Amino acid sequence: MGFTDIRRILTIFNIKKYENMSMLELPDGQRERIDSCAETLIAGFAALEAIDTDGTKPLVTVLDLHNILREDTAAKLFTRDEILSNAPEQYDGYFQVPGTLE
Amino acid sequence: MDYFIDDSIMQKGRPATAGSKMLANFISPLDATVVTRLKTLANTEIHSKSGTDEFGASALTLEPSDNLPAAVEAVKNGTASIAICNDYTGSVRLAAAANGLSYIHPTYGTVSRFGLIPAASSMDQIGVVCNSLSDGFSALEAIAGANPKDGAMFPDERYSYQPGKSGIKIGVPAHAAKDPAVSEFVKNFDSVEFELKYFDVYSHVMLILCFAELCHNINRYDGIKFGHRAENFQGLDGLYVKSRTEAFGFSAKLAAIMGAFVLSGENYTLYYDKAMRIRRLIKESLDFGKYDAIILPAHSENDPLTRLAYTALPQLAGLPSVTVPFGGGISLIADVKRENTLFSAIKEAGL
Repeated sequence: MGFTDIRRILTIFNIKKYENMSMLELPDGQRERIDSCAETLIAGFAALEAIDTDGTKPLVTVLDLHNILREDTAAKLFTRDEILSNAPEQYDGYFQVPGTLE
Repeated sequence: MDYFIDDSIMQKGRPATAGSKMLANFISPLDATVVTRLKTLANTEIHSKSGTDEFGASALTLEPSDNLPAAVEAVKNGTASIAICNDYTGSVRLAAAANGLSYIHPTYGTVSRFGLIPAASSMDQIGVVCNSLSDGFSALEAIAGANPKDGAMFPDERYSYQPGKSGIKIGVPAHAAKDPAVSEFVKNFDSVEFELKYFDVYSHVMLILCFAELCHNINRYDGIKFGHRAENFQGLDGLYVKSRTEAFGFSAKLAAIMGAFVLSGENYTLYYDKAMRIRRLIKESLDFGKYDAIILPAHSENDPLTRLAYTALPQLAGLPSVTVPFGGGISLIADVKRENTLFSAIKEAGL
């Protein structure tokens, strides 16, 4: 499938699908604005098609460095209270969340 | 000296919002490494203020914006002589130049990002807005150097920034040669014209990578452990969706959706993987054996895609750059860890 086909699909741009994947539920006005913006962006991305990347590896990081591993030593960065200090809700020293089983 | 720290960089006990309602009530539990290092300097006063550019992502919407980045505003209005921030989209350096200020973007991996709220991780790099480049490089010297809390760094403990040799040779991309600021700047330098390959797709590669990485980074905001939590939700998924929908602004929502698009199974190869391959081609196409620094315009008046393209190269290739308000704005870009070449060129130009 080429860019043109993808663009055609995205002109319909199943924005609801990507909204769901992003854990969002856009109000109507905003959905249209993002839909329009996405269409412009995706049309521009078609320019990449003309560039031959066969045999070129993806560049994941610009650093020509190996993994830098630290000694596996324990360190205490924060107390429990500090970790919980930004929690929207907490109870008895734990994060409080809504029920996950129905 | 007075410093301004953008509030995407954490200072213990102070708000760190990255300009997002999602983090409106977030109080930083730690000092970022750059803050720790600045605090060791004598007579240091640190200022901060919540910005309005959510995760610094407004430039990715390609919509016009009149908002002055908080870091630029702070130096412009005299609150501080140095401002520290993360300019991964290039919008800060353009605003700096448009307001008579300079911006130093250091080599990727020379300044610790521990304590920086992540946006586009492979391009996030803390840099310096300044009135005087000498002061800017002094500040950079104070904050740069390896830090075990950031695993993506060069091992050098410290860097020394000083102007060195004169006789810098400037590489002028053919498409930028007629820009008035560029042609005026290179008059007094030895220069060579060359083709900056792949320039036409710089902005698109930037957008795809930024959307993917931002999407990934802002997925952590779900209203559970920190950040905004909605009220009156139904079930756990309802909490996630309502919290994110209420708290994210337009640019964060666009990034989340476009990121999900370019990273999804059916689009990954066509967009994200392709962009990463082109990123390698871009990096490998540069030849710093033929010139010491590349010059590009840094004008705010260009259209949004052109603005992104002209400021993308340092982030895409991990290179240092300096943007100065010469003739409305130019950027100089050097090879990895060659900040002193840039310092030398600016001094040679009498700036």
